[in-house]
Amino acid sequence: MSTLRQAAINKLRARVIRRHGRDSLPISINRRRIYILPTRFGIMLGAILAAMLIAGLNYNSNLALAFAFLMTSMALVTMHHCNRNLLRLSVDVTTEVDAFAGREAMFEFELRNASNVDRRDIEVRCLSAAGMGSVPAGESASIEVIGTVRQRGVTRVDQFELRTRYPFGWFYSWTYVQGPITIYVAPAPAGTRTLPSEGAKGTGTHSEARGDEDFSGLRAYEPGVPLKHMAWKVLARGGEAAVRSYSSLAAQPEWLEWSALDGLALEARLSQLCLWVLESDAAQRPYGLRIPGKEIAPSGGAAHRFACLRALAAFGIGESGETGSP
Amino acid sequence: MITERVSYEQLLGISGCLALALLAHVTTLPFWVPAIVVACGLTRLRFARSGAAPSRRVLLIVAALVVPLLFLRFRTFNGLVAGTALLSVAAGLKLLETKTRRDIYIITLIIYFVSVAALLEGDSFWLLAYLIGVCWLTTATLLRVTSSGQAPDWRRSLRYGGRVLAQALPLALVFWLLFPRFAGPLWHIPNDSQAAASGLSDTMSPGDITQLALSDEVAFRVRFAAAAPPAAERYWRGPVLDHFDGHTWTRSSFGLGGAPPPQPLGVAYRYTVMMEPHQHRWIFMLDWPATWDLPHAALTNDYTLTQAEPLSRAVDVTGTSYTRIQSAQPLGKYARQRDLGQPQGRNPRTQRLAQELRSAHADDMELVGAVLSMFHEQAFFYTLTPPKLSDNSVDEFLFDTRRGFCGHYASAFAALMRAAGIPARVVTGYQGGTLNPYGDYWILRQSDAHAWTEIWIAGRGWMRVDPTAAIAPERVEHGLADTVNANEPSVSRWQSRTTWFTGARLRLDLLREIWRERILDFDQDSQRKLLEMLHVPEPDGQKLVVLLGVGMALVLGWLTWQVRRELAPQSKDIAARTYARLCSRLAAAGLPRRMYEGAEDYARRVAAQRPDLALAVTALCRHYSSLRYAAPSAQITLGQFQAAVRAFRPKHHRHD
Repeated sequence: MSTLRQAAINKLRARVIRRHGRDSLPISINRRRIYILPTRFGIMLGAILAAMLIAGLNYNSNLALAFAFLMTSMALVTMHHCNRNLLRLSVDVTTEVDAFAGREAMFEFELRNASNVDRRDIEVRCLSAAGMGSVPAGESASIEVIGTVRQRGVTRVDQFELRTRYPFGWFYSWTYVQGPITIYVAPAPAGTRTLPSEGAKGTGTHSEARGDEDFSGLRAYEPGVPLKHMAWKVLARGGEAAVRSYSSLAAQPEWLEWSALDGLALEARLSQLCLWVLESDAAQRPYGLRIPGKEIAPSGGAAHRFACLRALAAFGIGESGETGSP
Repeated sequence: MITERVSYEQLLGISGCLALALLAHVTTLPFWVPAIVVACGLTRLRFARSGAAPSRRVLLIVAALVVPLLFLRFRTFNGLVAGTALLSVAAGLKLLETKTRRDIYIITLIIYFVSVAALLEGDSFWLLAYLIGVCWLTTATLLRVTSSGQAPDWRRSLRYGGRVLAQALPLALVFWLLFPRFAGPLWHIPNDSQAAASGLSDTMSPGDITQLALSDEVAFRVRFAAAAPPAAERYWRGPVLDHFDGHTWTRSSFGLGGAPPPQPLGVAYRYTVMMEPHQHRWIFMLDWPATWDLPHAALTNDYTLTQAEPLSRAVDVTGTSYTRIQSAQPLGKYARQRDLGQPQGRNPRTQRLAQELRSAHADDMELVGAVLSMFHEQAFFYTLTPPKLSDNSVDEFLFDTRRGFCGHYASAFAALMRAAGIPARVVTGYQGGTLNPYGDYWILRQSDAHAWTEIWIAGRGWMRVDPTAAIAPERVEHGLADTVNANEPSVSRWQSRTTWFTGARLRLDLLREIWRERILDFDQDSQRKLLEMLHVPEPDGQKLVVLLGVGMALVLGWLTWQVRRELAPQSKDIAARTYARLCSRLAAAGLPRRMYEGAEDYARRVAAQRPDLALAVTALCRHYSSLRYAAPSAQITLGQFQAAVRAFRPKHHRHD
């Protein structure tokens, strides 16, 4: 029974993709894409309503019939309310998500409710995980879905689902949104090798390279620079955006080299490189990444870190679409 | 994430709803069934305080004790009361084991069904209203149970549930009016109703009817198609008692059919009897019934309309009766023997009196006249408080006490007739009735219960003789309240003397009657009339279904519109809304605001085009700007701005 249901749902989802194609986010949910079915509780209620009806007819009791009809009508009204709970809700999502293999990936969905009615108990399902939240009238809310991806690589989730059982749990209505989310799954950071520079520390080539204190001048702003290095005073005076440059940043960068890890298996190499990226980032030292087919010039900051991690995630594989499981 | 475990508050809510639903059954269920459910609820709540749940073993033990107990009590689970009891106990047990939301879902379903079961038995407006209230409360509780995270508070939940209920009403009405009704039950369900039989029984001892006379409960109502027969002919026939043991009259036979068809004399009265359920099998028809439209009902051989099942629901019977009949056929041998039967050795003085009368009057009718004038002329009294009588009740009554109620007179008269060799029997039923002038129907209360006699006159057949009419003719003409002495205990005397009270009571009865006629008795026939009213040609079941579909489509369309209408965004910003009103007023005056114009620009343009409005519009627009964009310490409050805009009514420019 459940496999039959699953098959039907898969068919529906494929049809939805064919019919609506890709959605441009943010999207306002219209009524044509909201589906509704009774829950198991709703089916039980239906059975009870049928029993009420038969009892009322059998006993020729107009009052019992009136009650049964009122309950039936309430169920039908509830169906409308359940459907409405998703209607004209505006949905947005960060289309790129970074994660580590085997660890939690967080998806953040932004729901906007421009209407006068509270939307309660909205469940967002994505990557076999679900998050729940409510959006009061005229407000926005973000719902976090925390899922896990086991495989390193670049995964695409083509579809996510909004679902609600509000108000009484008799029906659930749902909708699919084709807003592809790309998940860059970096290798799980692991490894035992030390950073190349740590190994060369004994030679004392640049012992003064540590520390941020050695201010050495200003240079032009470029994206990805740590905020604390921004020259705010210059900006406040009306000057161009500039970054304070430190001797350590100017110091000799760390090169994280694929070739330095000979003798390790491919995934282990990537994991080691990933760990090095994180370590270097934590130490706030400029680093570059050199892997076959890709070289990222030394730099620092979050954007740089993400660039490196994404390069590691994408190494050796193209994008793979995951359409199976919102 | 979703918390599946139930909280104390949720348990409390659902237990309360269950208790309220069971309250509707409190008169029919054995007292220990609700008691068990309440005990289960209290136990569970006590556990919930400490965050625990009772173990499964407790549950099994309770179930193993209670279910056989139920079976012992009812011998079946098929009947309505037994089924309700079982369901209630199941809800109690479920409550005891409730751990997750799913358990609460099951309990809500049981609450809904138990409510319907109550409506299968009861039929008052208040019961329906009460149970709709319970349904409302249960649904609000359900909203709180299903919501994840912070549940809406009680007031909002109730308001939401109420809104759903209100939106459901039009659709429910369409269903109720147009859903096809069937003529009979789909299948037979044993009647295990615990409701006690009320009204007349099929035995009569001296004093029995006196008790009824103190009750003003409605036995049935009657609406005549044309004029009603005079009071002296309004006898409503109930059980006929033909066996006498010297003290008590009982009914010897239940033979259906076989009654020699009486030959009607005079006019036929057509009427509808609207019976209240009394748990007996007979229906009170005007003496003597000729036709009726109740299936599964027939005349017994003593002309009482009787149906196969005890009357457990209100029912309408339309029929015709003739107040006078004649039968030339002879009385059957067995019947004659039965209707002359006397207990051996009882009431010897009555026997002697009968023999004296018989020798004095050879003609039966003369003898009857003699007995009636004896009642009339000698010191017999009609009273609600007669002395108690022993086994020789007729002797004691006729010769010693001489105080009695209709039952005493009927009993004594029939016994005398039998002793004199005239076949006689006692008929119980109701006599007279009160006209409800507001609704033009007659109300027969228990206080109208009456007993009279029938005697067999050869060549004439059964003939009604009411000895009470000889002793207290006003009883027959005006009813009990005007007959008994002022110091007798009677319910309705002061009431009937207080005009406003009587009026109010009759109006209330009319409401009840309308409820019964329009709501309780709404059936196939009413649906046909409804279709005729809607000018549907040749109404039948099929057209009804089509109409139901059309009605549903219309109401569902309305519902969709209604539900979505609430979605329309409406600015919460009062200042902006007020400004929008100002703009629309100006637009109506021929000065619409352009899309790109700010308030100040707009005001300047309006001032240039309409110098007469310049002052007001400039001020209003400046107020708006300051309310919207300046600090809250603006020189005008929001309320003042609103009032100013409301008062601002620009006239359309006259081109003169």
